[in-house]
Amino acid sequence: MKAALEIEDVSVYYGKRRALERVSVRVGEGEIVTLLGANGAGKSTVLRAVSGLVRPTGGRIVYAGRDITRWPADAIVAAGIGHVPEGRDIFPEFTVLDNLLVGGHTVARRELAGRLESAFELFPLLRERRRQPAGTLSGGEQQMLAMGRALVARPRLLLLDEPSLGLAPMLTREIFRVIRRINQSGVSVLLVEQNARRALGVAHRGYVLETGRLVVSGASRDLLEDQRVQTAYLGLRPPTEGAREGG
Amino acid sequence: MSTATLVHVVVSGLATGSIYALMALALVIIYNATRTLNFAQGDMLMVSTFAGWAAHRAWELPLIVTMLVAVAAAALLALVIERVIIRRSIAATHWDVLIITVGLSLMLRSAAGLVWTHEDQAFPSFFGDRPITLGPVKLAPVSLGIIGGSLALMLCLYGLFTHTRVGRAMRAVAQNQRGARLMGISVERVYSLSWVLAAAVGAIAGVLVAPVTFLSTKMGIVVINGFTAAVIGGFGSMPGAVAGGMLLGVIENLAPLYLPSGIRYSVPFLILVAILLVRPAGLFGRIEQRKV
Repeated sequence: MKAALEIEDVSVYYGKRRALERVSVRVGEGEIVTLLGANGAGKSTVLRAVSGLVRPTGGRIVYAGRDITRWPADAIVAAGIGHVPEGRDIFPEFTVLDNLLVGGHTVARRELAGRLESAFELFPLLRERRRQPAGTLSGGEQQMLAMGRALVARPRLLLLDEPSLGLAPMLTREIFRVIRRINQSGVSVLLVEQNARRALGVAHRGYVLETGRLVVSGASRDLLEDQRVQTAYLGLRPPTEGAREGG
Repeated sequence: MSTATLVHVVVSGLATGSIYALMALALVIIYNATRTLNFAQGDMLMVSTFAGWAAHRAWELPLIVTMLVAVAAAALLALVIERVIIRRSIAATHWDVLIITVGLSLMLRSAAGLVWTHEDQAFPSFFGDRPITLGPVKLAPVSLGIIGGSLALMLCLYGLFTHTRVGRAMRAVAQNQRGARLMGISVERVYSLSWVLAAAVGAIAGVLVAPVTFLSTKMGIVVINGFTAAVIGGFGSMPGAVAGGMLLGVIENLAPLYLPSGIRYSVPFLILVAILLVRPAGLFGRIEQRKV
């Protein structure tokens, strides 16, 4: 499969603290790939390195055949990478519509109306709320706005950081349904998610990070069966104990 | 006191206030984008007005061209200051950058004195001297001109910030820089643009006010009134900056009618303290809530 994104041996330091050590991740065209790991394992840092928010100290990042390791963030967005960060970073004083319009900063004027329309189609709620200040939306609505806003630029690769964080189960299901739809329209997705079961449910493949290093990777199916993944991220106990307790 | 006098005083107060408002807007434009308080804003106004004046004297330019020269000089000056000095101190604290701009302000003032003159100079006016008579009220054309010119400029700024892509990008940067970057906005370009825009606003204010106050290396001190106006309005709010400026100008002109005339220069600070006691965030301000 052709690669949408290749992260090769990337290391990132925040000051003296190591956040990533020689991490390699590959996202194929049209694939959903998930990064699993505990808090502070470096999952968000991988996304930030890709979108140019942090600079790797080593390694390289190749997107659609181009080395984007040293590109400024705005050029990376313009090249077709959308990043929905943890915390969403919406513009609270803007209306929903203005937020979406800023999402179209890199989009040609004549295409903007159509892009807004497709964002509204994906998240009908945003259409109802379009005149409302974004700061007054609920957490789930803000997540939809953040995703809709990133999609206005029609990225080829979407980086999603904890899209279900703090959301009610029903909204989480809705968000994951949309992730699948976005992917079916041809967008490759790199997904960071606390909820490992859900993430592996939607992703084709996954990588597990521990304190800045890759420890396991493979197809989602295999990871779901992997003992280390089960104990650490799926809340299952090792089989011996599990068998004894009938679980 | 007659109504006619009152109207006259209020109108000249609004004229003074317009200049304060423009200065306040310039400060707020830079602050919103970069969280820097540019203490040199007044002296940038002064230098660009001097540049216009020098060009006017050398080539006997029409006044509108003089203003364009001042704006161009302001834009160039702002670009150089931002790129060469402020951009390098991007990692410094806001306090450090404020001190840098204080230093810049002193340098600009001395430089203007060396290059041109420390003497006050007359500055040509767009407007005549003959008062406009409306019944019993006599109004100075220059006051009306300053008000009209400033309002027109404010309308242009309003249009820029609400109806253009670049204006929306500037407001996005003010709200969330990381978010703006992820939308493909070059935050660095917005920094430069904010400095250039603020300086241009200052230059227009300078050309409007210089016929009244005379052109002088000391005119940069108007930054204090602009700052006061911005704080009264709620620092960061553009409508607040305009309201604060107008309020300040009018009260400053009215106060000597009722109080000892020496009070005039204390008025801004008295108003500032009074308003901050009642509304700590200013007239249009919000208490800033920073997420940890």
